[in-house]
Amino acid sequence: MTDEAEILFALIRARYGARLDPAQLADVRATVAGIVRDVAALRAAAIPDGAEPAQPFIPYRSDA
Amino acid sequence: MSVAFRTIRELAADIRAGRLSPVALAEACLRGLETAGRRLNAVVTTTRGRALEQAARAERELAAGHDRGPLHGIPYGVKDLLATGGGIPTTWGAAPFRERCFDEDATVIRRLDEAGAVLVGKLAMVELAGGMGYRQPNASFTGPGVSPWSAAAWSGGSSSGSGSAVGAGLLPFAIGSETWGSILGPATYCGVSGLRPTYGRVSRHGAMPLAWTLDKLGPLALTADDCGLVLEAIAGRDPRDPTTSDRPYRYDGTAGERRFRFAVVRGTVEAAEPAVRASVTRALDTLHALGSVEDTTLPDRPYEPMARVILWVEGAAAFQDLVEGGGIAGLTAPEDRITPYARDAILAKDYVRALRLRGVVAREIDAVLGRFDAIVGPSRGVAGPRLDAEFRSAIRGGVPDVLGAIGNAAGLPAVGVPCGFTDEGLPVGLQFLGRAWEENTILAAARAWQAHTDWHRRRPPREPTL
Repeated sequence: MTDEAEILFALIRARYGARLDPAQLADVRATVAGIVRDVAALRAAAIPDGAEPAQPFIPYRSDA
Repeated sequence: MSVAFRTIRELAADIRAGRLSPVALAEACLRGLETAGRRLNAVVTTTRGRALEQAARAERELAAGHDRGPLHGIPYGVKDLLATGGGIPTTWGAAPFRERCFDEDATVIRRLDEAGAVLVGKLAMVELAGGMGYRQPNASFTGPGVSPWSAAAWSGGSSSGSGSAVGAGLLPFAIGSETWGSILGPATYCGVSGLRPTYGRVSRHGAMPLAWTLDKLGPLALTADDCGLVLEAIAGRDPRDPTTSDRPYRYDGTAGERRFRFAVVRGTVEAAEPAVRASVTRALDTLHALGSVEDTTLPDRPYEPMARVILWVEGAAAFQDLVEGGGIAGLTAPEDRITPYARDAILAKDYVRALRLRGVVAREIDAVLGRFDAIVGPSRGVAGPRLDAEFRSAIRGGVPDVLGAIGNAAGLPAVGVPCGFTDEGLPVGLQFLGRAWEENTILAAARAWQAHTDWHRRRPPREPTL
């Protein structure tokens, strides 16, 4: 696991560790490692500065 | 007269010719759901009272000359994530919600009511639409969905009952939902046609949210043509879902013969398991009879990680109270009780980065699709996972699914149709992925495929008696 994955897993263990047994914690740890790999791939992708999030927000007016 | 495996168009003609009554048809479908449907773990709730009342009304209206169109008097089922009023539970496939009722129907159900269709059942689904990270079929309080093609094979998820009820000939059509793979997957494994509409084409009001910017509702039916008939009834702007589009939709099922331009994205067929690859390769050869088939490439992008991050973050937010409150401990799949905790590891800026990349990808794929009528490829890279074993999933990062990741993240329509079988007799699917709002184009291509082949007319080994 990378340092980032270990730190993020520690956060999750702190939040939810009391609910999880060692086998479940190991499963969560493996999932966190996968998430960190995915996120690393995203961070490595070139995105133009002007690319905004493709997420609609529409100002609301009740009479519009 | 048997009504099993009859298309919407065939049933509509029988009803109008007086050969079949909507009440008798509804009764037959209810019987099928309550017997074979239960054996397939395809059903949560049958809606007998409502169905017979709607069917009787359809019969009266048609007798009086009031014809609401091709769905008038036609029975259907919905994935149990669509809200129903009238005391009919809406369970989301999840034990913690098995008694929960809503006050009103989802928009899609209201629109099907207006079209005269007859709701006969709420259909089984993977708990919470599979968004918690399940990795084996036993992930619903109704049990694992069984494929009509093999008692040892999974029906697919998360629209499990929608696929198997249509695939077993128990219903002419059903509504499913797709966030990533949940219509095309069951359509493939159950040997039926499934249409994932463009994001915003169909209102999500009253549907369980899993990922607000990925969720789509669409039909599963025996033919691509029937999918078009259903889409016309459910499509359109809904003030209660602000992401719905003003673009009108009329299904064009009359398009004459034409040549199509198909593209195959390099690597997508090769990535499938051997049995799927063989069937899809033969299908691509056959497609030459319908038009041109060209290889194409896409920019090197982290398509699956992008789609996964969006899905995981939105799913974590949609079920934040259930996860943080520990309610996921009541879910059926052991992995669904723990995997969601891991999603706290995704930082907000990485989610926003995925959304920014999504916009870039949407433009790039549109530029590719602008040169073709559809990208074609396997609907699923694997065929019929075993009921009792773990399966590999793109959502968990186990297998590649570039077309699924792009299609869902960019909100593009796709129709999946049967295109062959494995040596074990399990169905394989071919998808036509289209440009945004081009449902009529991909449906025309799928119709042409089904006019040229008979895979969609093959029936599972044990036909029901309806």
